[in-house]
Order: sequence, then structure tokens, then C-alpha cells
Amino acid sequence: MAELDRVIHEPVRLRIMACLDALNPKEQVDFVYLRDLLAVTDGNLGAHLQKLEEAGYISVKKRFVGRKPKTFISATTKGRAAFGEHVEALRGIIEGGEAGGVS
Amino acid sequence: MEVTPEDAKESLAQIKKTAERTRKMVAYGGGDVLFIVWGVIWILGSMGDEFFLEKCQWIWFGLLAVGVTVTGLVAKFKSPVSSPTDRRLGFFWLFMFLYVGLWLWLLFPFVKIRSMEEGIAFSKHFGGIMFTVPMFAYVVMGLWLDRFMVWLGLGVTGLVVIGLLLLEPYFWFWMAGAGGGTLIGTGLFIRKRWR
Repeated sequence: MAELDRVIHEPVRLRIMACLDALNPKEQVDFVYLRDLLAVTDGNLGAHLQKLEEAGYISVKKRFVGRKPKTFISATTKGRAAFGEHVEALRGIIEGGEAGGVS
Repeated sequence: MEVTPEDAKESLAQIKKTAERTRKMVAYGGGDVLFIVWGVIWILGSMGDEFFLEKCQWIWFGLLAVGVTVTGLVAKFKSPVSSPTDRRLGFFWLFMFLYVGLWLWLLFPFVKIRSMEEGIAFSKHFGGIMFTVPMFAYVVMGLWLDRFMVWLGLGVTGLVVIGLLLLEPYFWFWMAGAGGGTLIGTGLFIRKRWR
């Protein structure tokens, strides 16, 4: 049975993963867009991204666009799999009608 | 920590909402600016055809140069997603315009305009066809990316056909208002709703 993921379950990180999972595997999202989408501060988003990166769920890359440095974020294969399992676990809780624990 | 079925439903709703906004963002990254810019170009070009018919090709040439430049800059600097699809879409538009340009180049020698009236009628029908080319592209892109683009493409094409069939004496005013206005309205809608 699929299990809930503690790293992903936190609301902001859940939405970060939802955004990244909606992209194609080769697509990366701009840090500024992600910040605006989630309505969080730079520091808050940075802290959540660090947790997801430490878990190996996302990849963070910096590069220059024109003369400006930009940060792009994408989900890793491991991150997509973990997110998929988390979503399955949520569906399982709804279908089962019983509370589930976060591992 | 316990997650109740209500919590799970709320989480899935958040996931769905975020994923939908992301997909729209991919489809329309920087699109608000582009729709507004192309809407203004459409209006200025139509007015050029109405009031300066003999110089309209140069007006359109200048306007299209501005539009293509702005589109390139927006794609490079404003798109929130870095994607291999961007390049493919760029080539799609390029090849489509090259294809249309090739047929115009091949067919134009056979166009014989004998009077000012014929010239005016021809410019309207030719302009109408040209307006439907990017709309056709929207429909094709919409099949890949987002259904809204399909409806936009079909809707504006419908407005062009109405203009040609029912409102020909006012065609360029109609295209400026209905065509350009629709594009600007779409840009404002995207800016307000999907940001």
C-alpha cells in the first residue's frame, strides 16, 4: 500500500511538487514564478526547496538568461515517484474512509 | 501525524489547482504581453489597410518586424518555464510562415487587379486569409497545450469569416475591433486570471 511522505506532505512542499510534476520531465520552472504561484517569500521558498533537494526530489540549477542569473527548478525521477506514491496514499485514505499516518 | 479523509481531499484539491495553473502557465508563459502586443499590431495594421491602402504592405512589414522582435524577447526573458518545447514551438511558427510565404510567392504573379475596387476587395480577402493563419496555429497548438487556444483560434477565424461575408464594407474596422480587441481582451484575461 502507498505511504504518505513526510517531506512532501507539508502544504508548501506539496504544491511545489504538484507544480513540478505537472511539467514535462525536461522542463524547469523559474524560481520567481514558483514564488509568486505559491505566494511565499524568497527565504521561505528557498528553505522548502532545500529540504526537497536534500531528499533528492528536485534539482536546482542556476544559469544566466541574458545578463541576469536565474534559478530553475525541476523534479527528479525519484521526486516524481515519491509524489506519485504520496498522491496514491491520499486517494487510499479517501477511499478507505480512515485516517492515515505520515511516515 | 494523522491525515484524515478531509485533509486528504483538501491536499488533492490543492494539487489539482496547482497543476492546472502550472499547465496554463506553460501554455501561456508571457502570453498576456504577447496577446496585447499582437492585438495592438492587428488594430494598427487594419487601420493602415483602411486609410493607407497603397502603403499597407510596408506598414504591415514594420508592424510584423516589431511583433516578431517582441515575441522573441518575451520568449527568452519572460517565460517562467525553460523547456525544449519553446524551441519546437518557435520552429513551428517559423515553418508555418515560410510555408505560407512560399505559396504567396508562387501564386502572386497570377493575381491580376484591374481596378481600385478590385484591389480593395482583394486586400480584404487576402488580409482575411492572413489573419486566419496564426489562428490556425493557435488551434494546432491548443490541441497540444490547452483547449482555450482551440476556441480562441476558431472564434477569431469565425469573426474573420463574418467580416468577409456580412460586413465587407467595414471589414478593416471590424477586424480592428473584433480581431484586435479579442486578442487584447485575451491578454488582459490571462493577466488577471492566470497569474
